[in-house]
Amino acid sequence: MSDTDVKAANVFERPLTRRELLKRGALGAAVVYGSAITFAPKFARAAATADSITIGSFQDNAMAPFRDTFIKLFAKETGIKVNYNETNYDTWYQNAKNDGLNKTGAYDIYVMDDNWVPEFAAGKIVQSLDSLGFKVNKDILPKGVDQGLWPPRSGAKMKAFASQKPELYAIVIIDDVEILYYNKDHFPKAPQTWDDIYKVAKAKAHPPKLYGWSARGVKGNPIVQTYLPLMSSYGANFVNPDWSPGFAGAKGVAALERLFSFIPYMPAGVAEFDTDQETQVLLQGKCTALTEYTGLVHQIDNPSASKVVGKINAAATPKQERSGPAIGTFICGIASGSKNPKGAVQFLEWFTSSKVQKQFARTGGSAAVTGSALHDPVAVKKYRWLPAIADAVNNSVPKPRTPDEPKMEDILGTALNEALVEAISKKKDYNAIAQKHLTSAANQITSYLKQQGGYF
Amino acid sequence: MAVAEPAVAEDAGRAWRLRGAATPYLLLAPALLALAAVSLYPIFYGIRASFHRYRYGIDMGSAGTQNYVNVYHDPVFWQAVKTTAKFVVIAVSIETLLGLALALLVARELRFASWIRVSLILPMTIAPVVVGVIWRLLFASDIGIVNPLFSWFGLAQPNVLAHGTSAFLGLVAVDTWEWTPLIFLILLAGLHSMPQDPLEAAQVDGAGRVQAFFHHTLPLLKPVLLVAIVLRTIDAVGTFDQVFVLTKGGPGTSTQLISIYSYNTAFLFTQYGQAMAMLIALLACLLLLMAAAVRFMRRTSEAVA
Repeated sequence: MSDTDVKAANVFERPLTRRELLKRGALGAAVVYGSAITFAPKFARAAATADSITIGSFQDNAMAPFRDTFIKLFAKETGIKVNYNETNYDTWYQNAKNDGLNKTGAYDIYVMDDNWVPEFAAGKIVQSLDSLGFKVNKDILPKGVDQGLWPPRSGAKMKAFASQKPELYAIVIIDDVEILYYNKDHFPKAPQTWDDIYKVAKAKAHPPKLYGWSARGVKGNPIVQTYLPLMSSYGANFVNPDWSPGFAGAKGVAALERLFSFIPYMPAGVAEFDTDQETQVLLQGKCTALTEYTGLVHQIDNPSASKVVGKINAAATPKQERSGPAIGTFICGIASGSKNPKGAVQFLEWFTSSKVQKQFARTGGSAAVTGSALHDPVAVKKYRWLPAIADAVNNSVPKPRTPDEPKMEDILGTALNEALVEAISKKKDYNAIAQKHLTSAANQITSYLKQQGGYF
Repeated sequence: MAVAEPAVAEDAGRAWRLRGAATPYLLLAPALLALAAVSLYPIFYGIRASFHRYRYGIDMGSAGTQNYVNVYHDPVFWQAVKTTAKFVVIAVSIETLLGLALALLVARELRFASWIRVSLILPMTIAPVVVGVIWRLLFASDIGIVNPLFSWFGLAQPNVLAHGTSAFLGLVAVDTWEWTPLIFLILLAGLHSMPQDPLEAAQVDGAGRVQAFFHHTLPLLKPVLLVAIVLRTIDAVGTFDQVFVLTKGGPGTSTQLISIYSYNTAFLFTQYGQAMAMLIALLACLLLLMAAAVRFMRRTSEAVA
């Protein structure tokens, strides 16, 4: 062993003095800090160079073809790399909002629920697509495009934005809309009105073996989704153009009474039913019909999920005065702090192009956003529900366009759930029950909007 | 100079004493700073937020006391407070009685005492969200086992989660199942550490089991019992996961606890200021309640001593 080796060995063997420990600690910290400031920006920029974009989304089965097929296809066609991050709905909503408010630039595109648009546009969390020069494909169904406008083109508008020209802040990528699912064994052709469905329920339902109707009855958003197509079809509105609630009048009450008329033919626990329970009875062949969003189309012909493969058909939601399904699109906005807005625009224009949308519709019958895709003979031959989606989007009625919509929905949804529970337990006085709870909800919404300000 | 020397020595002594007195605080300072950063700062930030107005996800500046006024005039908030109070009183009472009974049973040298102890504390070890999922499956009207069980006994199916009263009682049952073990464990520890002499003396004097329990065991156990009740009360007020998974506060508002309502207010309605005002008001009430409980405990301990 040489002298040098002995010295080196001693360094590791002898105990460190405090001064040495401090010196080495400081050196170590400097190295770590130095590396961080040298390399971190490079890593951070990796997600946002001109040849890459980053998309953030919430998890949903409907996003599977977008994520698994079309992102790769875009990268292949354009050479632009796409980073895709997804998380659960609530977390993603918060992440996207924080990213946009702080202009962090971690994402270029946010996949959003359409009811986020008022808040994200008014709060400048997303950029105006018009300002970015985004070109809207004329083939996209107009009702879908309208979901991305702020302020809205028509209907009730918040005072502060009423005089502003509508601008496009987000573009629809999946036309999620409520449609009617019915079992062909019980309906030889698509029922046109609620009366048609009621007649079949009355004649054929034999609970618990066969139900005449199934619904989402849980308080809040679920039961509101059950009520909205009924309410709109009876000619009532969630809110009138002056923001006064429009569901507590005779038409709104009649719509709720119609829902109550199905009580003898619905599952007994319907007040606690959410999508999974509601759709199970249909997929098990125990229900004649129900209304639900387009996500269900991916299960109706799946033998591992359905006992009635090939027997469930889709149509626009029934009419009374009109057909009025609720619309809830998947919609994309470009982050306020996007590092590559040009790449983001390029991606969104590419994905919403007629050619790509046709491919999208042919991939599992996804709810494409263009008319030509939803009526594409090749796609329709394989996926019979696509024209029903187009029909439903064209007839759809949007929810109130305001950041306060979730609170309004919660108030109405709580009142509807209370009304349903009371109607199930009393089994009579449906009109009085509907009137009482809808009036209470209308009063609560009015006083909430007054408290918030900017409406009346 | 002869006069100056003691003065210098006195100064040096004072400096030494001061340094001695300051050293512990200096050494504690990093830990206190860390504690302040992770514990106190969020509370102060929350208090600040409760005086601010949020719109479109943006802090719009000071709202004065408006959030507190809104909360005061919000009937849903008061309904949630009432439901929470009812839930806490019923659940904690049942858990205390059951926990005490089980602790008294297991404290005796039974044959399978250790097995019983392990099986009793099992529910407490499961994550509350998982507990919610388990009971949701049991209660569900379509695939649950509660409905068929009632049918088997010839009773009407209860559809537990579809009616206000039954959903509330179902929630109490879940909480009791999960948290009775905590009270049981605390009381069992209390029973084991209890002095046996007074009890033996009472037995020698001819006291029966019931008399011995009420006159000796219970007074001696009182401080431990109060600790258990206070801990469970604080925890029960913040119950969230099970309710979120089981009912989301429904049907109607029958199971909407303050935790669920403030969560919705913050994250669904994006009224962060109002949600914070609710929680700060609740925190203040809870602190007052706890202060009263602690004072009562102190008095009880002194009386026992």
